[in-house]
Amino acid sequence: MWAQIINAFLGIWLMASPAILGFSDDKTISDNAHIIGPVVATFAVIAWWEATRVVRLYNIPLGLWLILAPWVLGYNETTAIANDMLVGAAIVGLSLVKGKIEDSYGGGWSGLWKKDSLHAREARRQPRV
Amino acid sequence: MHQTDTAIPPGWSYNPASWSQRLPIVGLAIVGLGIATYLSLFQLKVISDVWEPFFGDGSRKILTSATSQILPVPDAVLGASGYLVDALAGIIGGIRRWRTMPWIVILFGVFVGPLGMISVLLVVLQPVLYDAWCTLCLASAVISVLMMGPAMDEMLASMQYMKRVKDSNVSFWKAFWGYKEVQGKVI
Repeated sequence: MWAQIINAFLGIWLMASPAILGFSDDKTISDNAHIIGPVVATFAVIAWWEATRVVRLYNIPLGLWLILAPWVLGYNETTAIANDMLVGAAIVGLSLVKGKIEDSYGGGWSGLWKKDSLHAREARRQPRV
Repeated sequence: MHQTDTAIPPGWSYNPASWSQRLPIVGLAIVGLGIATYLSLFQLKVISDVWEPFFGDGSRKILTSATSQILPVPDAVLGASGYLVDALAGIIGGIRRWRTMPWIVILFGVFVGPLGMISVLLVVLQPVLYDAWCTLCLASAVISVLMMGPAMDEMLASMQYMKRVKDSNVSFWKAFWGYKEVQGKVI
């Protein structure tokens, strides 16, 4: 979970970075940060809970985009290039950290389409109520 | 003891429909409802000023923007209604509602999800379209995002139950609405 807490802060940092690092006037750079930041923070926060930890993976493409964005969108500010690439790389790395899963969830989301999942096996053993 | 045992979904280590799991989400929804109601009062011109500690004219700009007026009612009114539905859908039903009332659990998840996504969309639009931030709108977005994760585990338990309903050839419709006659027949 710590990794997803950091990712949430990285998303918030992205939102604030155009103003803090002084490239608010560059609409392309600041729009990209203002769009990607809240989305990264949202996915990271949803992934704080074990049952929805898998949502952390949605941040991988967003992190990869941040690494590519300075070149695709043609940034001309070194601070902005470094910021997007470093934050993007950190987001990708931290998204891969699954963390501890201490509770059990009846086989999780894949239990909704798999034939033989934990919740179905356990339900068969229980008296019907 | 036996009663609490049967409230835990099969294969789970806890009951996602217990009050200790649900009440914090309901609490968040009520705080969100308070914030959205306050912002609605400003948008409906009942109060003439809006609290904005950090971003100067930001809240006023955002709350009177074209986006906020895109629908017949101001966006904070919709937000307030969303939070009200979330709070009600969170509070209705007992601790076995993941199988006795799947409809309310799924309604709960279905409302919490879009409310969060719309809040995030509005957060993106603030700086991109209007170059402004609105403190209380951000606070409301944080609350709706915080509600998404914890609401989903209960929805997962209900959906797993519905999967077992399907596998045991019991009427999906009756199980969804919680008909008593089908509850004993689900594997």
